[in-house]
Amino acid sequence: MSTKYASAVAAVKAMETTLLTGSDIEQLINARTLKETEALLAAKKTPGSSLSDVWEMLRSSAPDSRELKILLYRNDFHNLKAVLKAKLSNRDPSVYYVEPSNVTLEDLDHGISSKDYSGLPEYLREPAEEAYELLTRTLDGQLSDSLIDAASLNAMQRDAADFGGSFMQRYAVLTTVCADIKTAYRCSIMKKSRSFLETAICGSPELDKESLIRAAQSGTDTLFRYLEDTAYSGAAELLKTSPAQFEKWCDDVIMEHAESARMQAFGPEPLAAYYIAKEAEIKDVRIIKVCKECGTDTETIMERMRKLYV
Amino acid sequence: MNSLGLALAIIGAACASLFAGIGSAKGVGLVGEAAAGVVSVDPNKFSKVLILQLLPGTQGLYGLLTAILMLRKVGVLGGDVVSLTTAQGLMFLAAAMPIAIVGLFSGIAQGRAAAAGVGITAKKPEHNGKGIIMAAMVETYAILALLVSILIINNIAI
Repeated sequence: MSTKYASAVAAVKAMETTLLTGSDIEQLINARTLKETEALLAAKKTPGSSLSDVWEMLRSSAPDSRELKILLYRNDFHNLKAVLKAKLSNRDPSVYYVEPSNVTLEDLDHGISSKDYSGLPEYLREPAEEAYELLTRTLDGQLSDSLIDAASLNAMQRDAADFGGSFMQRYAVLTTVCADIKTAYRCSIMKKSRSFLETAICGSPELDKESLIRAAQSGTDTLFRYLEDTAYSGAAELLKTSPAQFEKWCDDVIMEHAESARMQAFGPEPLAAYYIAKEAEIKDVRIIKVCKECGTDTETIMERMRKLYV
Repeated sequence: MNSLGLALAIIGAACASLFAGIGSAKGVGLVGEAAAGVVSVDPNKFSKVLILQLLPGTQGLYGLLTAILMLRKVGVLGGDVVSLTTAQGLMFLAAAMPIAIVGLFSGIAQGRAAAAGVGITAKKPEHNGKGIIMAAMVETYAILALLVSILIINNIAI
């Protein structure tokens, strides 16, 4: 266990005290109006209210942020999708660019405009080139998105195996499993072709790509039966009843994994776990705000709340 | 005068302070890093984490104490240098080993335990004492080693 992270981990432990707790979330949910919710949030002094602030803090305090950068791969690939589509439809890509990201908007913009991908991180070069080719050839945005999504999961798994610890490897596998189940389910409903599924599904050591494709092609019932025989039978049950609850399950599975790092005194794991925790907290707050604005009842909001770290 | 015997005794004294000092320096440094991380977020916790940072510093003091006792016994401190046989010199060297070796490793281990204790202080300041107790447990072995070193030094007949 690396003691190189002693300072960063201690700083993160101090910041964990400012994360919203279960009772804080309950208070926010029970607020009568959105204004009241916002006032309660303002009263909570949280350092780094945005994920970009949190990432900047983690990156600057970690002696080696290479492993942690894997956490941002999803954002990087999302930005690639956004810039590709914006470029081809002559729109401003900055509107769709999400932060934090390992790659700047300028680099992505330049790479795609000039078709010179050398300025992009290695894991983005090939998918960027392939997706551009595919999009310009077929004009199928959905297929190109699927290609990029699968490439993002592949890159996460590969880089986690190359220079990540067991925590990051498991994180990459869980993220892939959740995304693959979601993709397989949607493709099954939309009766997508085998070639589309082959592009869209990434596969992982826990959910075999070929078996998942076969199950998805045979319809949702076969897919559920297949999932019931795996370690993810709970996911199948949720998908049958409520896709929204399945989404929550995916986030909760990742959070349960993050909790395993809570007891660690050294290493990059508590830093990654803190980022995941902050991500979940921001998601919860966003759900509460939207629900308050729409006048959703308290019980429904409670059901949608993601598991918290503290 | 057998200069080899005296040289061995001086090497022993040097080892005691050197290795135990290295252990302490590494331990205190590690806790210092962790403490700085906490203070950067919450400066009010400075006094609490400072106690934890001091804990691995004792091994260096034990090494110094052993070295002084040895140097006094052989007369290097005080100006009345005694004549030592090679066997006596080796005895002094052996006397230094417990605190030298245990001091080195316990200093580092205590540093790790105290750095983890800084995490407790960061998250639950009211449980700071538990972190101190857990780190202080490592001290037992440094004290035992110091005791053995002192007993040997005092019982070497010169």
